Amino acid sequence: MIEIRLYATLGRYRPELKVGEPLFLNLDQGTTVKRVLQEVLGIPTEVVKTVFVNGIYRELDHVLADGDRVGIFPPVAGG
Amino acid sequence: MIDRYSRQIIFPGIGEEGQRKLGDGCVVIIGCGALGTIIATSLVRAGVGKVRIIDRDFIEYHNLQRQVLFDEDDILNGLPKAIAAERHLKRVNSSVEIEGIVADVNYTNIERFVRGADIILDGLDNFETRLLINDVSLKHKIPWVYGGAISSFGMTMTIIPGETPCFRCFSPASTGRGTVLTCDTAGVISPIPFIIGSLQTAEAIKILVGAGELNRQLICIDVWTGSFDRLETAPRHDCPACQGTYEFLDGRFGVRATSLCGQNSVQVLNPKIERLSFKELEAHLKMVGKVTYNEFMLHFDVDGREMVIFPDGRAIVKNTTDESLARGLYAKYIGT
Repeated sequence: MIEIRLYATLGRYRPELKVGEPLFLNLDQGTTVKRVLQEVLGIPTEVVKTVFVNGIYRELDHVLADGDRVGIFPPVAGG
Repeated sequence: MIDRYSRQIIFPGIGEEGQRKLGDGCVVIIGCGALGTIIATSLVRAGVGKVRIIDRDFIEYHNLQRQVLFDEDDILNGLPKAIAAERHLKRVNSSVEIEGIVADVNYTNIERFVRGADIILDGLDNFETRLLINDVSLKHKIPWVYGGAISSFGMTMTIIPGETPCFRCFSPASTGRGTVLTCDTAGVISPIPFIIGSLQTAEAIKILVGAGELNRQLICIDVWTGSFDRLETAPRHDCPACQGTYEFLDGRFGVRATSLCGQNSVQVLNPKIERLSFKELEAHLKMVGKVTYNEFMLHFDVDGREMVIFPDGRAIVKNTTDESLARGLYAKYIGT
């Protein structure tokens, strides 16, 4: 099982989640970040800036493992 | 020690010694929008000795909703943000040496701007200049505090060279993806830059005083949903900046603007973008201007300006020869 948290505007892709509530998923072995975004969550990769897996930045081809904690962020440029 | 600082001297984390250190401190604030104005006003009021504020923009009415240092007179007088900030803050605390600089911060000038700084504060609206700050911070071992805010969401983290992960560890130069959210395309409500800017200010005070616990995690706040998160980040083993390769400071990356001879247009190139999604871009831009597109190009009209944007991220800004203005519009609407 992996734990996924969607940040900022990405929350709109899972409106049923309560504030601060993570999503828990059972994934097939070899599932990449990109596949989770596109096929499981329905989030276009264009709107994703940063994916952390266990606190470390990972590319979209990174293969997830059981127990991973994933944080997905849009690009937050404003100031 | 003059009476104006008495309440923060009573605070045991600062005291008289801490106040002296603040008075000896030099901070550089890059970008003077919502974050920058909050940071600048707080640090000048706190009695930091030298405050240098750099910004390339003028003040517009839609800034006043959240950029606390500016007023309607500044707009009527056509003042740049850096100058208006300097003038207002000199009336707040005449004992602080305040320097407002109107400039587009880039790899050719940033080392000059941060000379003598004890800390750099991020008040920017784009990733590119943040990656440049990151390079100059690591090269010269100057701590900096990242802050970003859009919509109702914001993030901040303190980067201490050699001690914490750097900004590039989690914000690589090129993701191959476009459509950056900015305040001009996603909107912003004032509480979020106020909170993020205040956290950045607290970090600056702690660094200058040399006390308190620094924020070494990525703090993420959404004031609309009421979520407060901290994310432990780790250094990326292949991060070029951490290994002493400063690609943004060397000018190898970054947006380039070139005036097109005889065409009254400026071309803006962004090597960080490999492919833009016109569909996503349209979704953001149609909130603020008129957008039409086909598979080859996207036309965007906003505030009397016309931009033509191509799928590789290239843009032509029409009816101007001002390269700095074109870079600014690009950062505002497409994002860097």
